Amino acid sequence: MTPKGLSMKASRRQVLQGMGAAGLAAAAGTLGSTQRASAQDVTLRWWSPQSSPAQLAAYKTQIAAFEAANPGIKVLFEPTSDEGYAPQLAAAFASGELPQVITHLPSFAVQTYYAQGLVEPFDDVIQAIGTDKYYAGANDVYKAADGKYVGTGIGNTAADMLWLRRDLMEKAGIGDAPRTWDELRSACQKMQGNGVYGAPLPYGLNSMTSLIFIGFIHRAGGSVFSPDLDVAIDSQATYDALEFYKSMQELCPPGATGYSWGESLTAFVSGATATGIYAGRVLANVNAQNPGIADQVTCVTYPTMSSDIPAWTFNDFPSVFIPAGAQHKDEAKKLAAYLFQPPGYIEQLHAAPGHVLPVLKTIAEDPAYQNNEIIQKYPEEIDLMAASAAAGHNLGYETPEHQSNAKAGEIIASNALAEMVQRVVLSGEDAKAVVGDTAKRLEELMNS
Amino acid sequence: MSFSAVARKNTDTLDRRYAILGTVLIAPTVLIFCSVILYPLVSAIYLSMFSIYTPTLEGGWVGLDNYTSLLASGRFWNALGNTLVWTVGTLVLQIVCGVAVALLLNQSIVFRSLARSLILFPYFLSTVVAVLVWRWLFNDLYGILNHMMLWAGIVDMPVNWLGAMPNAMISIIVVGAWKYFPFVVIAVLARLQTIPDPLYEAARIDGAGPIARFFDVTLPQLREVLTVIILLRAIWDFKEFDLIWLMTGGGPINSTQTLPLVVYQEAFGLNQMGMASAYAVTMMIVMLAFMLIYLRQTRQKESI
Repeated sequence: MTPKGLSMKASRRQVLQGMGAAGLAAAAGTLGSTQRASAQDVTLRWWSPQSSPAQLAAYKTQIAAFEAANPGIKVLFEPTSDEGYAPQLAAAFASGELPQVITHLPSFAVQTYYAQGLVEPFDDVIQAIGTDKYYAGANDVYKAADGKYVGTGIGNTAADMLWLRRDLMEKAGIGDAPRTWDELRSACQKMQGNGVYGAPLPYGLNSMTSLIFIGFIHRAGGSVFSPDLDVAIDSQATYDALEFYKSMQELCPPGATGYSWGESLTAFVSGATATGIYAGRVLANVNAQNPGIADQVTCVTYPTMSSDIPAWTFNDFPSVFIPAGAQHKDEAKKLAAYLFQPPGYIEQLHAAPGHVLPVLKTIAEDPAYQNNEIIQKYPEEIDLMAASAAAGHNLGYETPEHQSNAKAGEIIASNALAEMVQRVVLSGEDAKAVVGDTAKRLEELMNS
Repeated sequence: MSFSAVARKNTDTLDRRYAILGTVLIAPTVLIFCSVILYPLVSAIYLSMFSIYTPTLEGGWVGLDNYTSLLASGRFWNALGNTLVWTVGTLVLQIVCGVAVALLLNQSIVFRSLARSLILFPYFLSTVVAVLVWRWLFNDLYGILNHMMLWAGIVDMPVNWLGAMPNAMISIIVVGAWKYFPFVVIAVLARLQTIPDPLYEAARIDGAGPIARFFDVTLPQLREVLTVIILLRAIWDFKEFDLIWLMTGGGPINSTQTLPLVVYQEAFGLNQMGMASAYAVTMMIVMLAFMLIYLRQTRQKESI
C-alpha cells in the first residue's frame, strides 16, 4: 500500500468532504429560501368534506377573490369526506400538521375537539362576520360550556327530509304526504313495484345509519341521552323505532343493508325508490341527472310515530372552525370571516342550492341569493327545509334542553347505534338485549 | 523493532481501519433499520401500555390493562376469527387460481405474451379503483351481476352481495383473490420455466399422465417457491385493510371486521391510540406465531 493507496484515500476523503460541503450548502440554501418564502407568503390550508364539482368551483372563486384582496396569502383547498374526516383530523391533530380553516363538519365534532382544547375560540370571527346578520339563535349550537363560541355555521342542512314523487303518489292513489309511520309504510307499500322500491333507508354499518336512526328515536318521542347526558336509549321509544325500522326493510332495496349517504341519495334520484331521505342536494341532482322526475319531486319533514309527536329534523349544522394548533391564526380568521361575504358566499350556497342553507338572514333576503333556478323552482321545499333546519338538532344537541354532548363524535364513529340497528333488523336479535348492550356501550364511551 | 513486528503493527492498523470502515459503511443500514423498523416496533409496544387520546397524544400509563381488556372482549376474538377466515379463504383461492393460470401461461398458447401482460392488470390496479369497479358490479340496483342473474332466471330478487352474510365475506374473498393472484402467477411462472424438461420426459417414459406429472414433477419443483409465496401473501393478506374497509366497512354487524379495521377504528374513530397499538402488537404476535409454526412444519416436511 503505497502512495497510490494513500492518494486514493485522500481522494475519497476529499470527495466525501466535498459532498458534505455541497450537502450543507444545499441545505443552507434550501433553508434560506424557505425562510425567505415564509417571510413573504402565508399558505392557508382549507379542509371540507363538501366538495362537489360546483362547490369546488365556488370555493375556487372565493379563494381567488380572497388572495387578490390579501396579497401574500395563498389558500389551498383540500377535500375530505363525511366518513373520513374524523380519522384525517385525528392524524392531523396528533402530527401537528393542521389545516388553518375547516368547514362543513358537524357542530358536535367541533364541540368534541373544543372540549379537548384543540379548537380556537371563534367569538372574534363571529363579531367580524356581524352578529346582527345571523338568524336569532343560529350560533347557540356552537356555544361551549365556558360561554365561548367554538365555531359558527357556514350553513344549515335539513339532512333527513322525506322526499316524495307526486306522480307515484297519484298513481298509487295517495292524496296527502304521510305524516305518521303507519301512513308512510302504507304509502311505500302502495308505491313499491315494477322495479321501484318504497324507501332507501340506510342499514349499513356506518355513520349515516347512526345519525338517521337517532331521528327515529326522537320521532318516537325518545332520546339517546337525557338533558343531563345520562344514557336514556333503553326506552320504549327506541323499541318502537327499531320495530318500525325493521318493518321498513322489506320496502328498501336489498343493498340498503350497506347504504350510506351516496347510495341512499342515488337510489331516490335515479328513480329506484319512491321516497327518499336526504337533504336538499336531491333537488340539484334530480334536475341534473334525472330531469324527467324533476317536476314531480317534493319534500316534507320525516313522519313521526304518531301525529302528537312533533317533527325532529337532523341538522348536522355544517360549521367553520379553526384548530388551536394551526399556524397563521390571524390570517385564518380573516379567511373564515371572508367566506361569509357576498357574492362569494352566495355562489357557495348556489353550488348546492337547498342543501346548504344560509345562516345569515341578510343573505337569505338578498335578491342575488334568490336569483337561482333551483331556489326559484322549489320555493316551498326550500322554505320548509330552511325552517326545519333552523329548528334542527343532532346528537350533540338533541333538544334545546340538552347539554352539549362532547362525546357525540366518538359515539357516531364507534358505530354503536348502527350496530344496534343491524343486530335487531338484520340478525333478528332480541331488541331488549341489544338495546341493553348498546346502553352499556354508550356508558363506556361517555366515560372513556 | 524487527521487520515482523513492524509488519504485524501495520497489519493491526490496517485491520482496525478496515473494521472502522466496515462499521461506517454498515452504519447507514443499521440506522435506517432502527428508524423504520425498530423504532416503530418499540414505539407501538410502548404506546400500547398507555391510554392515549389520539388527537392530543396525551394520556396515562395503564400497563397491561389494554391487553387484558382486549383479550376479554368478544370484539378481538370476533375480528381474529374474521381475519383468519379472510386470510385462509383468499390465500387458498389465490394459490389455486395463480398456479392454474401459471400452468396455462406456461403452455404454447396463442397470444401468450399478451395474456402474460394482461394477467398482471388486477395487481397493478389501485385498490380504490378496483373496489369502486367491484362495488358497481355488486350493486343491487344497477350491478351487472344481479342483472345477469335476474335475466338468466337464477334469482327472483337482486342478491345482496355486500350487506348480508355469508355473501359479504365470500365477496371480499373473491375480490381479494382476483386482485392478488397475479403475484402468484408471476412467481410460479418464473419457477415453471426453470424446471428441466428431462424430468417431464422421464415421467412420460414411465407412463405418467398429465395429472401424475403435475403432482409428481411440477408440484415438488414448486414447493420452495410456494413456501415463500404463501408466507408473503399470508402476511400481506392478514394485515389487509383498504380492500375490506372500502368493500364492506367491516359490516354487516362486524361480520367482515378484521383486526386491521379494528386498529383503525380504535386509533382514529374512537381516538384510543393506546388500545389501537395493543391490537396492532397482538396482531403482530399472532402473525409471528402462525409464521413460525408454518415455517417449522415446512422445514420438517422438507427434511423428510
